[in-house]
Amino acid sequence: MARTTSTSDISLSQKVFRGLLSVLPSDFRANFGHEMEGVFAQQKREIEERGAPLDFLRLWWETFMGIFHTAPREHWDILKQDCAYALRAMRKNVGFTAIAVLTLALGIGANTAIFSVVHAVLLRPLPYSDGQQLVFLRQQAQREGIDDIGFSVHEIQDYREQNRTLSGLVEYHNMSFILFGHGDPDRVRAAVVSANYFDLFGVKPLLGRTFLPDDDTLGAPPVLILSYDYWKTNFGSDPDIVGKTFELNDKIHTVVGVLPPVPQYPVESDVFMPTSACPFRSAKTFIANRDSRMMEAFARVKPGVSIAQARADLATISDRLGSEYPKSYPEQMGYAAVTSPLREALTHDARPTLLMLLAAAAFVLLIACANVANLTLARTSRRERELAVRTALGAGRGRLLRQLLTESLILALMGGLLALVFASNSLQLLADFAARLTPRAHEIRMDTGALVFTLVAALGTSVLFGTLAALFSRANLTSGLKEGSCGAGSGRRKNRARGALILSQIAFSFILLIGAGLMLRSLQKLLTVDAGFSAQHVLAMRTTFSFSKYASGDQLTVVGEKVLHRVEAVPGVLSASLSSVYPLQKEAIVAGSNAFSGPFRIEGRELSPGEAPPVTSEIVVSPGYFQTLGIPLRAGRLLSDADDGKHQIVVLINEAAKRQFWPHEDPVGKRVKGENDAKWATIVGVVGDVRDFGLERPAPPEFYVPQGEAASPNALLVRTAVDASSVALAVASAVHEVDSQAAVTYTLTLEQARSDSTAAPRVIASLLGIFGALALLIAAAGIGGIMALTVSQRFKEIGVRIALGAQPSAILRMILGQSLILTVLGVAIGAIGALAMTGLFKSLLFQVPPTDPVTFIVVALVLLASALLASFLPARRAASINPIVALRNE
Amino acid sequence: MTRNKDVESFLPMTPAMFHVLIALADGEKHGYAILKEVARRTEDKVRLSAGTLYGNLARLESAGLIVESDERPAIGLDDERRRYYRLTDFGREVAIAEAERMDAALSQARAKKLFRKPRLA
Repeated sequence: MARTTSTSDISLSQKVFRGLLSVLPSDFRANFGHEMEGVFAQQKREIEERGAPLDFLRLWWETFMGIFHTAPREHWDILKQDCAYALRAMRKNVGFTAIAVLTLALGIGANTAIFSVVHAVLLRPLPYSDGQQLVFLRQQAQREGIDDIGFSVHEIQDYREQNRTLSGLVEYHNMSFILFGHGDPDRVRAAVVSANYFDLFGVKPLLGRTFLPDDDTLGAPPVLILSYDYWKTNFGSDPDIVGKTFELNDKIHTVVGVLPPVPQYPVESDVFMPTSACPFRSAKTFIANRDSRMMEAFARVKPGVSIAQARADLATISDRLGSEYPKSYPEQMGYAAVTSPLREALTHDARPTLLMLLAAAAFVLLIACANVANLTLARTSRRERELAVRTALGAGRGRLLRQLLTESLILALMGGLLALVFASNSLQLLADFAARLTPRAHEIRMDTGALVFTLVAALGTSVLFGTLAALFSRANLTSGLKEGSCGAGSGRRKNRARGALILSQIAFSFILLIGAGLMLRSLQKLLTVDAGFSAQHVLAMRTTFSFSKYASGDQLTVVGEKVLHRVEAVPGVLSASLSSVYPLQKEAIVAGSNAFSGPFRIEGRELSPGEAPPVTSEIVVSPGYFQTLGIPLRAGRLLSDADDGKHQIVVLINEAAKRQFWPHEDPVGKRVKGENDAKWATIVGVVGDVRDFGLERPAPPEFYVPQGEAASPNALLVRTAVDASSVALAVASAVHEVDSQAAVTYTLTLEQARSDSTAAPRVIASLLGIFGALALLIAAAGIGGIMALTVSQRFKEIGVRIALGAQPSAILRMILGQSLILTVLGVAIGAIGALAMTGLFKSLLFQVPPTDPVTFIVVALVLLASALLASFLPARRAASINPIVALRNE
Repeated sequence: MTRNKDVESFLPMTPAMFHVLIALADGEKHGYAILKEVARRTEDKVRLSAGTLYGNLARLESAGLIVESDERPAIGLDDERRRYYRLTDFGREVAIAEAERMDAALSQARAKKLFRKPRLA
């Protein structure tokens, strides 16, 4: 429609009026816009003639209201029309609809599921009041590379009293105790905490109360608070639990409260008790010694104070303590207080894995988008005549684009709906997996955030593939009618667009498959790595003897020997041993070897000033440990029952310790002692390395100390001639025959322990594998589709070639060659992308470089083979074209 | 364009729509004339803005109650932007049905002596 007024001479009010019109649908504007402008101009002129300025305001108000009242109704009408039209079109083409919806559902579903996890773990604020103000304090021995050596009672007091930035500081340590009073003696994981611990976190009890300051005074009646899970699992959520009593450490403890489900850091606990109730923490000697470090510390930063300010404040205190007590903080250890936000501490391990999975899921969605865009493009080609007819009937180009976008929107929303079903079904699996990485996994669920995310993902997806498809088909909307088929120029352009979409699919698939391939290779290495012990037919049981019952080490040694004697008499048992920790024990993997290590001295080697003492992990074992676990002796001798610490103090070392501390000499016969030990111990033998703290971590230097010389054992290990789990009950009753109050818990075979330790990489590999397979499937379908389209477009040309004598095999080769070129190009682009992204993978891989050539070659071959396979059908169709039929089509 | 012949489905009408139909009852008019006529007849009680007027015209046109007229006044008397609208037979039917519906309601109100003093039609 021609405009009568040029832009220069229109008045401001006309401009504003035109601006207002822009909220109306484009067709409506095209139809009535000019008339409306005319009407408005006349209304205005009339008021000017009357000279009633107030009427101007009224005119504007009514005009404004009228347009904003009409616009939504008009848009809604069009939407209804478009939806009805789109649904009709979908019903006519069920195959296309099903494939598109399914592809999008898989893409969006993968993202929704992973996003739910990321949202719960990394994004949502901590479920404590003002959780961002909570910090976790660690005392490090930085020159020794020890991440967390804990705090002593004195240190906790000093940091609490001297800081200016914290509104509160609480301590925490965990212990295993035996709980009597309901059925079998139960070993419980106890958290020993300051009285104001829960106030600091802002946690309100579900039942009863939390601790009061009086609970924490020495000699106060012992009280307990149960964790939500423990209360639920072991007491069936008993609402009358508060007030019940249990015997623990020879004292009657009263339950005063139950916690709500909140994430616990660093480990989950079953019960909480005040510091006065812990026999170790309340010992006078422990309290008096500044160097007895055992506790973790949590603090709340004052309102308005930044984490950085608190960090600086605490570092100042650390420096001050260093100069006040130089003996407790030797310079060579590099003591320092480190403050990190609790949220970071809770999610640190999960972050790289989750972000990688999110990236992988996003790739799947991009591939899905590219694929659906391609499908839509192919479909609009077939609908060109229909669209051209509508154009001829007066539908503007904007109107048609809008129609196409509505169709994509409906497809994406249907995909989103199905995606929610997929995601909610896979969420439990993901939550179980995330639980291995973060204590926040309990919070994972489908919530409003996930729903909003799905909606946004669906909208974004529809806009992405809808716009891609609409843009590429735009040139054809008007030419379709004239030629009866797509014009040559735009057809070529469209083919290029399709080619680009396919290329991006192949490239993204390649990157995903590389990720999956690397993780699989890494997992395979991890599963077959020599852990240094034989896991078959070994049963591991967590066994605890009452601390209060066997006060001295001697008494413990005696009861330990009795237990081993009794257990070895159980039919099917070959050997048994006790130890402080067993290989790949979950707690040991979580804590790391640092938690078991300390500095020691080598006789005859003086430290130069400022030199850090050597550090080693220490494991307490009974003599049968090495036979039971099949750990080989490399030099010297193993331990025997005679090594009870009464005559000569002895120690065994592993090969890692030999390599590190005696690389060029025989360590057997050399003497060592711990920093705080009085006597020297003689090294009597060297045993093979064991990957105690995770299959992916090389064995650290380790000392094996005979049980008679050190603390109480925690684990009972039993080698059996038969299936290990079949003797578990008999072994437990053998232990109880010796001491009916001993707690025997967490029974599992070492094979299970080994398999559990690889759960996280297995899940990552499976998830990436699923994503990769999905991507491959979608990309292969895309390649097959585009080749089929090429063949039908070149139907005549191929017919002519065959008529002119081309062999079917040459035609076959031509089509396959084309798909091969496309795939090789895609793989090349993908390879560049994968190489650029290898940094992300590095920390997650075990013994596989992120540029592993085997993975790259295999993945490239798999992609090429899939592409060839997918193009084979269209290629064979091309080769079998009957030239007569093809030419008759002219 | 769907043409719903079922008169009932249009009842009751919005006042604006009904007044547009009434305005066209005695002959074809362009948009501005409709707007003026409605304002005059209702003593400015029903005031249509450009947006409301053309929203209603679009609806009435697509429902087949009105059509754009082919006849135009002589060149020179006419603004070329203007289009003229005319009531269709169906539109007249609908307008009558709506008037009758209102009349029936009015009679009932009278029968119940809802009016303070009887008014002449």
